[in-house]
Amino acid sequence: MEYSSKQSQEKRRGFIDPRTKLALILILALFVMGGLGGEQMQPLKMILSALPFALLLAEKQWTRFFRGVCILVCGYALLWIMPYLPAVLSYFALFCGGILTRFVVTIMMGEYVIATTSVSEFISAMEKLCMPQQVTIPLSVMFRLFPTIGAEWKSIRRAMRMRGIHLGGAKAGQVVEYQMVPMMTSSVRIGEELSASALTRGLGAPVKRTNICRIGFRAQDYLMLVGCLFVVCAWILEMCGVRLW
Amino acid sequence: MVELKNVTFRYGAAENQNGAKNSLSGVDLSVKDGEFVLLTGPSGCGKTTILRLINGLIPHFYQGETEGTVLVEGKEIRDMELYDTARLVGTVFQNPRTQFYNVDTTGELAFGCENRGLPEEQIYQRIDDTVASLGIEKLMDRSIFHLSDGEKQKIACSGVNVSGPDLILLDEPSANLDFEATMALRNMILSWRSKGKTIIAAEHRIAYLWDLIDRAVILENGRIARQFTRNELSVLTPEDLAQMGLRTNIMEAPEKSLLPVYQENDEPMILHDFNFSYRGRKQPVLQIPHLRLAAHEITAVTGNNGLGKTTFLSCLCGLEKRFRGTLEYKGRNYSNRDRQKLCYLVMQDTGNQLFTESVLEEVLISLPKNTENAEGRAAELLRRLDLGEYPDRHPQSLSGGQKQRLAIACALASGREILLLDEPTSGLDYGHMKETADMLKKLRDMGTTVLVVTHDTELIRHCCSRMISESSFQ
Repeated sequence: MEYSSKQSQEKRRGFIDPRTKLALILILALFVMGGLGGEQMQPLKMILSALPFALLLAEKQWTRFFRGVCILVCGYALLWIMPYLPAVLSYFALFCGGILTRFVVTIMMGEYVIATTSVSEFISAMEKLCMPQQVTIPLSVMFRLFPTIGAEWKSIRRAMRMRGIHLGGAKAGQVVEYQMVPMMTSSVRIGEELSASALTRGLGAPVKRTNICRIGFRAQDYLMLVGCLFVVCAWILEMCGVRLW
Repeated sequence: MVELKNVTFRYGAAENQNGAKNSLSGVDLSVKDGEFVLLTGPSGCGKTTILRLINGLIPHFYQGETEGTVLVEGKEIRDMELYDTARLVGTVFQNPRTQFYNVDTTGELAFGCENRGLPEEQIYQRIDDTVASLGIEKLMDRSIFHLSDGEKQKIACSGVNVSGPDLILLDEPSANLDFEATMALRNMILSWRSKGKTIIAAEHRIAYLWDLIDRAVILENGRIARQFTRNELSVLTPEDLAQMGLRTNIMEAPEKSLLPVYQENDEPMILHDFNFSYRGRKQPVLQIPHLRLAAHEITAVTGNNGLGKTTFLSCLCGLEKRFRGTLEYKGRNYSNRDRQKLCYLVMQDTGNQLFTESVLEEVLISLPKNTENAEGRAAELLRRLDLGEYPDRHPQSLSGGQKQRLAIACALASGREILLLDEPTSGLDYGHMKETADMLKKLRDMGTTVLVVTHDTELIRHCCSRMISESSFQ
């Protein structure tokens, strides 16, 4: 069958718009990770926490979904067994459990955004939000830079293992320093080569950029944005001392 | 199309130029419409610098002091913004891993046109045309992190094709490619030729494009040393080229070298159960139930990208925790952990395996603890690998070849008997390739067993005496 890029872009269109994703991340970071809001917000937070998992399922990201669920279950299990543990261990369990349950949900949301948003979609969304190029370009490079540097990091770790430099060995204190030397050199090189290549292909031209991806609000986006608005309103009302339920 | 008039260039900011060497001095070069010019010469001769002057990265991205003029289609590059030059000139770079802006391949093909603000429909049309004419349907809508180096380079070339500039620059695009991927690159160039594009390629591995070029320009120390027209090229032999410090012009698959895997009198080194597949994938990468290798010889490991050669090396080194195979050597069976102390891997990115702040210290941390007169021994090793002059240099500031020799010095210091190298000659000129070959021979004479993963037929011809190829991997 002949390849059609238009159809394929249509097919890979995400379940929700990138702008909605950004709004959701912000709300999750503030209320679930940041712990904003009091007693009254608890039920809303429960719903918010379930959201990234629902979205991961909607986009068929099975591995990420299961990893997230496992970590969350571990977190709650720690909190649950905490009271039955001896003093030192119970502190430790409280600490780990607290961090896991608080952070995992928002990190899952971040992973969801990175996994399901293409660079083109992201730039397109930022342009629709009237962000200047000076903000959009560095942020969009992140999508590319982090995985590349991650791969470099793995390769350096392997090299250390091969040369017999381990954490816990005689040189444990120096290991971190050793890792940083090649890491910095190669990060600088990668950044430079990525920019050179992007510039020779006309990034940053003062024309209206085209984006071949399909984005735009649909019913599910409106639903979620209204949801976000509701959470914020509920919070403001709580601050004013209004009892909602 | 392109005109360089008396161009002299020096890297670095204007204020700290004292004594800095010219990267180019007094270069005159003019390239006609539709011409295909090869720039070649030893490392550091200024090939890449010329390309950067033409695509505008100099002076707009890399700083330096330029004299003379560089014109593309009659326009001075210096006075043009990079995004305007981008419409005229397309570049394919050496490193396939760092020239993409997008994560998905389709977005990558569209990138150049998107930046120019072409209408959507037109971009779709251009992508579909390129995909159909180059037959890359299988590569579309994939994450670039899941492509092999050869496939990435194909996407980079296709991206240039979608943008459709009249001038195409190739900066050592074949450095990381195997034989088949290099042939695919050759076909790409043929299709550009048939469309009348002007092409300027900087390359060490000249064989794959030797019969396609109109002219070869040979650079030395930033000057044009010689030029050969098409007719003059055809009489040059590999020996003539070697004399000028150039690689061979004969394209030959590594498998053609016909070396034995193992011979009667060799000391055996036997691999048992070298089977491996990555977590969550059914398809095995390695499937070698039993293979006898020769110790104390230089064995080439060849085969196309994606056949698991690099995986083979890391399994052999004991770096894959889930790997269960063993190595039988001198009447002993070596498990993963034991092999970590027996084998030393010189990686492709040698910079990633040098961790300290001085050359001497790098060797010192590799020496076994309680070595007597450690400094003296380290200095002796450095001398033997021609690094005696630089004990205090920062390892990351060394040249590629020097880094490689330092990594090997560390291998010798650690006293491991088996040395593994992953593509040691990618991007090396004739002189450096020969140096590497000579050094491997020296190591063999000292009793080291050397296994080298390579696509470089010339290196195999120069130093390898045994070979494992594709057929042994399945």
